[in-house]
Amino acid sequence: MLPHLFKLMWNKKRTHMLLIVEILASFLVLFGVTSLIIFNLRNYQEPIGFDYQNVWTLNFNARDQPDSTVGDVMQRVKERILTYPQVESATLFGSNAPYSMNMSNGNVSHGNASILSNHYRSDLDMTKTLNVPVLEGRWFNKSDESADVRTMVINTPLKEALFGDESPLGKQITFGGPGDKHKKEDYFTVIGVIGNFKTQGEYMTNAPGLFQLNKGEARAYNRTVLLKVKPGTDASFEARLTKDLGMLTKDWTLEVSYMENQRQSTHNITLVPVTIFLIISGFLLINVALGLFGVLNVSITKRRSEIGLRRALGATGNGISKQFVGEIWVLATFGLLIGLLFAVQFPLMNVFDLESGVYVTAIVVSIVVIYLIVTLCALFPSRQAAEVQPAIALHEE
Amino acid sequence: MITLQNIEKVYRTSSIETLALNNININIRKGEFVSIMGPSGCGKSTLLNIMGLLDEPSKGNVAIDGQLVKSYRDKELAALRNQKIGLIFQSFHLINDLSVLDNVEIPLLYRSRNGGSASGKSRLDHAKEALEKVGLSNRTKHFPRQLSGGQKQRVAIARAIVGNPEIILADEPTGNLDSVMGNEIMSILQGLNNDGATIIMVTHDESMAKKTDRLIRLFDGTQVGDSVLRAGGAGPGDNPGHFTHNPTSQLLNP
Repeated sequence: MLPHLFKLMWNKKRTHMLLIVEILASFLVLFGVTSLIIFNLRNYQEPIGFDYQNVWTLNFNARDQPDSTVGDVMQRVKERILTYPQVESATLFGSNAPYSMNMSNGNVSHGNASILSNHYRSDLDMTKTLNVPVLEGRWFNKSDESADVRTMVINTPLKEALFGDESPLGKQITFGGPGDKHKKEDYFTVIGVIGNFKTQGEYMTNAPGLFQLNKGEARAYNRTVLLKVKPGTDASFEARLTKDLGMLTKDWTLEVSYMENQRQSTHNITLVPVTIFLIISGFLLINVALGLFGVLNVSITKRRSEIGLRRALGATGNGISKQFVGEIWVLATFGLLIGLLFAVQFPLMNVFDLESGVYVTAIVVSIVVIYLIVTLCALFPSRQAAEVQPAIALHEE
Repeated sequence: MITLQNIEKVYRTSSIETLALNNININIRKGEFVSIMGPSGCGKSTLLNIMGLLDEPSKGNVAIDGQLVKSYRDKELAALRNQKIGLIFQSFHLINDLSVLDNVEIPLLYRSRNGGSASGKSRLDHAKEALEKVGLSNRTKHFPRQLSGGQKQRVAIARAIVGNPEIILADEPTGNLDSVMGNEIMSILQGLNNDGATIIMVTHDESMAKKTDRLIRLFDGTQVGDSVLRAGGAGPGDNPGHFTHNPTSQLLNP
């Protein structure tokens, strides 16, 4: 029966061309939206790797202050913050602290392996403040503060990319590609591995990242303080803290944010476009569904005589119903086959550098959704077709 | 082969009741070529639809090969239509979007669904064989719009016989054709009858009816005549219930 339906629909392809185009367009939009959703869902399933609850972010703007003094001032700020009983821990961080809008990245390499990695600068208390577990080796300690010690801590994605299953501890990595010329002092020894570190929140890709300890002149880069406060710490403490710190950092500006709020804002940046695409795609699918429903209704009215004939030749009512559902599946298949030609290019050509699994899953989900919609649209008209009385229909021509 | 007992058919709308058939009793034997005649609106097609299991009588019984079909479900009726009965229509009822070969193949598609075992190739072979029988083996890839009326009717006949049904029901098969084409179609039907098929044909054309074995006449939904035209036709005594072979007396005493 299926070849018969394919033949019938192929011969009617001109009549159904618009419908096929509509199904094709729906598939492509659905594929795009589904890819986006699956990409974000996959990211969401990966833990962010740090705690954001009861963490405050203090961003200092030193204005025209010379870099040589900023490091010392920031150190004093941290020490002052730690004197408050409401504060459990504090750490100095670079400008790309979690949930900030800043990024810092570059290529790092080990042997012939090279990958783009995020680059973070922090101090000894980062793991304590953000509750980041160290999976292998250790976090920075006092021994790393010496100017001639060049150590790094990397995260799991970077470890997997550069070292695979081998232990990275004690091995050396450097900035730049494998072909670049490096001096001895360009190499850093890996001393520890942490898990994930997704600074843009749950929807961020679990990207490779490395940490350097800020010391010497580089301390001037750490103008953000992350502090972990005790649960229930309120705004009055914030007011007291900002006033107190204002005296330490004269002419600087200070901006206080709660990391939980920052996380929500970051989520919105991801979720708002997805929601907009979903609404557009939803409207398109409803449009297609209504179009299909109408076309099928008209088709059944026009083809009553054929339905009568098929009943006379031995089709059951259910058989007729299945035929109409089958026809719409065949039409959907025509549209989907054309759509697949475009969609498979995404994983093949590694478009947007996403895992091919995201695209393959999106293709499968989109196909299932399209078949589901066309089936739902065909059910009612096909039932109507099944109820056509053959004796009456045969005499309507 | 086909037995109709006390058949009555009433069409009802919210305001009108129309008696289309009234107390019809007919027994058609295997191998007969029966024609049914009567003026327009007398119930010929309704009778043919009931014989072809396309319509249910309001009263009375239909039996095929001695089996009452009243209690049959849709699936069983469809299987019976598919395997026992071939239908030919005045307006051909070909599907314009399918080739001649694909049109002829349709009954076999439903046969495999009804428990048969026809493979795709065997279906096509049967369809080609049926087209050869009606002299259209050179038109298999044509579409209905590319054929003349006579050719279309021959395709419809091929479709009706492709599954080797024992009964062929033809509703005015020559009604849309000129006399030459009509005679051609009639010859094909006679050939099928000679090969053993039971044929029941509704016609307006007296000359066509005279070529059959037996002529049943209807008037206003009532059977008013049943005449044997040549040896092999069933005699009036074969009828299962009340019947008349005297049209005049029936008209006077309905």
